[in-house]
Amino acid sequence: MTELPNDSDFDTLCEAATRLVSLLPHPPATLKISHGLASAELTWSDGFPAVVTTTVDPPLPDDGHIQVRAPLVGTFYRAPEPGAAPYVSVGDTVEVGQQIGIVESMKLMNPIVAEAPGRVVEIPAADAAPVEYDQPLVVIAPGDSSACDTLFPGSR
Amino acid sequence: MMFGTVLIANRGEIALRVARTCRELGIRTVAVHSAADAPPDWADQTIRIGPAPARRSYLNAAALIEAALQSGADAVHPGYGFLSEDAEFARICEEYGLTFIGPSADVIEAMGDKAAARATMSAAGVPVLPGSLHAVEEEEGRRLADEVGYPVVIKAVAGGGGRGMAIVHSGAGFSDSYRRVRAEAQLLFGDDRVCLERYLRAAHHVEIQVICDAHGNAVHLGERDCSTQRRRQKLLEESPSPAIAPELAERMAQAALAGARAIGYRGLGTFEFLVDDDTGDYFFIETNCRIQVEHPVTELVTGLDLVSEQLAVASGLPLPFRQEDVVRRGAALECRINAEDPERNFAPAPGLIEEFTPPGGPFVRVDTHVRAGTRIPPDYDPMIAKIVTWGADRDQAIDRMDRALSELRVSGPGLRTNTAFLREVLATPVFRKGAHTTGFIDHLTKGET
Repeated sequence: MTELPNDSDFDTLCEAATRLVSLLPHPPATLKISHGLASAELTWSDGFPAVVTTTVDPPLPDDGHIQVRAPLVGTFYRAPEPGAAPYVSVGDTVEVGQQIGIVESMKLMNPIVAEAPGRVVEIPAADAAPVEYDQPLVVIAPGDSSACDTLFPGSR
Repeated sequence: MMFGTVLIANRGEIALRVARTCRELGIRTVAVHSAADAPPDWADQTIRIGPAPARRSYLNAAALIEAALQSGADAVHPGYGFLSEDAEFARICEEYGLTFIGPSADVIEAMGDKAAARATMSAAGVPVLPGSLHAVEEEEGRRLADEVGYPVVIKAVAGGGGRGMAIVHSGAGFSDSYRRVRAEAQLLFGDDRVCLERYLRAAHHVEIQVICDAHGNAVHLGERDCSTQRRRQKLLEESPSPAIAPELAERMAQAALAGARAIGYRGLGTFEFLVDDDTGDYFFIETNCRIQVEHPVTELVTGLDLVSEQLAVASGLPLPFRQEDVVRRGAALECRINAEDPERNFAPAPGLIEEFTPPGGPFVRVDTHVRAGTRIPPDYDPMIAKIVTWGADRDQAIDRMDRALSELRVSGPGLRTNTAFLREVLATPVFRKGAHTTGFIDHLTKGET
């Protein structure tokens, strides 16, 4: 991999792998990360034969929309602070990595970012509402023409 | 004052067991679950707290506390396993104003280190096995082994569940075994300290159930015999013990209470002992600071709801009964039904349950969270149900258990259970006589020790 993609799937995978490593009593000998199918593989040598693999399901429902889901249990906020304008509203276009909300858990603010470029078509989670792990927060229709405008201005 | 909302930080049959008593007491319940478990339908509220791996869900303290706070819980019931004996979790609960339903973090910590626990119990006058009360280096261990007399068992200070240990029969094998157990202990527990004690040729595993309130009252609820073990995993538990006289059981109960008072124990707890089959001597092995899998056996002979009493003392209420009020009647047995394949060395055999017909009829209790359509995930403990029977005496309880097991139907693709194996155990003459010791199942399955 010569160039690190600016892609939140990849970031999520790296975070998951880092968390995985931090949970283990011994550092692994190798850590493989493959981006396309989103998997991480850790191996040990020197008497630590355990192999741990983790797979992240690509968040692609049938209609091609991408559901950005809560990475942990907490409270969802659409805006950076009470009374402020929301990060995004239905109809807005978003770029990969753009912050679209917050999940607060144990007083820590976890930024929620768009996993693909596109247009926000639904925000199923209510502002300031408790959310479960993996609960859909924001739905994005990817590859929208207006998103292309945002991503590649002057492409027309 | 009794709790308004309890978050149950567990899964499976024990989560449902706790919720049932909460419902009877009018306490609102919050169930948590991982992505591998369906949201339970028996709770007032459910919260998915993380993905399948326990480390990121049922062992994830931050997610559990967040779930407790956002659901308005005032207490957390940890069940057994997972975080039930995690002193740090108990401490975090208290820091966030949540009552941890169990002993104090300090007591859990003190009892969690087996060497320290044995030293504490020994100081309180509770007999412990001859051996080291602390971690030993190789040369010190060798001297101690000569003093205690072979065979000895070397085991990880941080160990449990029969892992990280070795039995040494003579001085010649000492060094090899010592080094192997240390390496194993480091690998399994990240802690290579080992201790050493006399190995008993044949022993009965007998444990005493105690409950203590915050007002200085400590009461025992009799003993349970858990000698029916496979590789130190309990398979069947019963009360009273068929192997020891009531006078001995009473002496052990008094020792357990002395130990509980010495450490300022509060809540429900179990003091585990080994009883030497040759001499009748009893030795403390460890304290379990939680409700146990086999608690229904005690409930059936005492008529007490242990979860209800546990909730009451955790909320600060005094015990509503004294020692002389505890009356034990008849005999009770519990069999653990596991999704495992006895034909393939008891390897876990999880999968989708297509048919589930529990036994019923007189004096049969079934504690289970499964039904037809439940998928048993491979991620957790393979226990799917506990069958408990009561009888006026042990023979009647055993006959009822055999009848109950014959009624149980569990099937699904790839799914296997140990039900038939348990019926074999019940039919074994040494078990029927109540003369079995902790090695008998391994002997039955062709000398696996």
